[in-house]
Amino acid sequence: MSVQVRTLDDLLHAPLDADSELTTQEYLVNMGPQHPIAHGSLRVVLRLDGETVKHVIPVPGYVHRGVEKMCEHLTYRQIIPYTDRLDYLSAIMNNWAVAKTVEKAANIPTNERIDTIRTIMSELQRLQSHALWWGVTGMDLGAYTAFLYGFREREIIGEIFEETIGARLTMNYIQPGGLMYDIKPDFAQKVKNLLPYLKGCIEQYETLLSGNVIFQERLRNIGILDGKHAIALGCTGPVLRASGVPYDLRAVEPYGVYDKVNFNVVVGEVGDCWDRYYVRLEEMRESVRIVEQLIDNIPEGPHATIRYNEEIILPEGLHYGQVETARGVFGVFIASDGKNKCPIRLHFRSPNFNNLWIVTAIASGWRIADFISIQSSLDLVIPDIDR
Amino acid sequence: MGVALDKLPGIVERFPGGSVAITRLDQAINLARSNSLWPLMFGTKCCAIEMLMATGASHHDLSRFGAEVARASVRQADLMVIAGAIVKKMAPRMRLLYEQMAEPRYVIATGSCAISGGPFMYNSYTVVRGADEIIPVDVYVPGCPPRPEAFFWGLLTLQKMIREGETIRAPGIRKKPVLAALPEDVSIHDIRREIRSALVDENIIDIEKAAREKPWAQKVRAWIRRVSSH
Repeated sequence: MSVQVRTLDDLLHAPLDADSELTTQEYLVNMGPQHPIAHGSLRVVLRLDGETVKHVIPVPGYVHRGVEKMCEHLTYRQIIPYTDRLDYLSAIMNNWAVAKTVEKAANIPTNERIDTIRTIMSELQRLQSHALWWGVTGMDLGAYTAFLYGFREREIIGEIFEETIGARLTMNYIQPGGLMYDIKPDFAQKVKNLLPYLKGCIEQYETLLSGNVIFQERLRNIGILDGKHAIALGCTGPVLRASGVPYDLRAVEPYGVYDKVNFNVVVGEVGDCWDRYYVRLEEMRESVRIVEQLIDNIPEGPHATIRYNEEIILPEGLHYGQVETARGVFGVFIASDGKNKCPIRLHFRSPNFNNLWIVTAIASGWRIADFISIQSSLDLVIPDIDR
Repeated sequence: MGVALDKLPGIVERFPGGSVAITRLDQAINLARSNSLWPLMFGTKCCAIEMLMATGASHHDLSRFGAEVARASVRQADLMVIAGAIVKKMAPRMRLLYEQMAEPRYVIATGSCAISGGPFMYNSYTVVRGADEIIPVDVYVPGCPPRPEAFFWGLLTLQKMIREGETIRAPGIRKKPVLAALPEDVSIHDIRREIRSALVDENIIDIEKAAREKPWAQKVRAWIRRVSSH
């Protein structure tokens, strides 16, 4: 496997090495932007030799809305709802990234209660996101039942979010210096009742899908990405950890109250699609463990340390903050001139963008059906790629 | 036939003195069409999770309305649910998908992005301000994203419209599509009647007369009278 930077034009006109002695014809197949595997609107051009994929050429940009440019006209509080609409399955964690960067730059304090609730909400959302991914992966590989089970848990966790936050998808919850709303008095009890059920659900996932021979055949030893190349391509999250690199921001650079809880960083061995599948299942178990440790003693205190209408002006300079979302490291880079309440430049380092481009390195040589497994195991959210 | 006669008064009529029921073919076809809408798997953004995936799952269960057969190919679908923002790069593709659908075809725009650009209405250099600038939209479902229940309400509204034989392409009936979130006591009939009367009165609207009839205008007149008498 080699990784080198090639332009779209190079890939389209590169010489083709046929993998058999039979005469084959080279042709290009366009997948997307409207395609069931596109998970939104990703366009992928496959350069094929027979049924073997020679090159994968992703063509993003079908949901590019210019969020980063828009954010130059928005205050830091107004940026938060737009981060919901990037990676909408990790909305709370995206909010946290902006809040964390702003708090660090402007020296806004938080308290123990805020950090604990943020951590619990993030882990619940990680569970919700992985449950959706599990169902959708099953659906992509032909198991519609998995989709129904994945969404069952998603709705149940969603009810807790709805009660506290009032939203099902675009949360807009974590603000600089606090939370949008305080939790309800029975929040802890409801989450506590939910946890044993979720544990049972994860076991059920194993029996429903993991043991299936067809499912294993389609994932095992497909699309192997080794740790060295994973780091070189900048991929993060479960994709990186499946390649055997124990890099998890929650462990190596703890924020919130992650330094006070015990959890394992799950790593894979081979780096194939199966490892990427299983790392996520194990992460769900770890998330349940984290919530279990925190839910019993949520400290008392206010849920916000500054007023919501307080003007936030960051000091002059460059500020960066990052969190671990369900898909990897989500970073916010803010350039401030120290006078305006809006950033002069802003950039989101989105995990999906880097995770997408590894298909150009690992999908060559596999069949089209294997490409579906590979793309499904990467768990891509397209609006996060295009921004 | 007993069920049909009970449920569809006016559409199916019993033939006097016999066991024969008569109906208009149009109405029977519309009834069948409205209850077997096949949506196209086409989602661009967050709304797709709520509109096409959460509704299709067992908690909300789209199949109660006969619309669960989500098709990946446009040639098999007759309902396009525009779920999410449409950007300029996507717009020609969406138009192409719409043209490829076999008639009769219906469009529901869900979420503020598809209705007007939503949160990306200002300062965005790529988002198309409303999907109805590209293709005709039958029903709008507001929200960011709308709840699945709101989508069902939009679907029921569309079914009602199909049963009554009106869509955005049926000329002369309606000028504007209907919002899915109608108040309780307002029906499609009311809107239709109102728009018809508006079309009739279009050329004879007397703005001054209309203003005089408004309650606030009478207050203003009374105030002017009081001030000028002093």
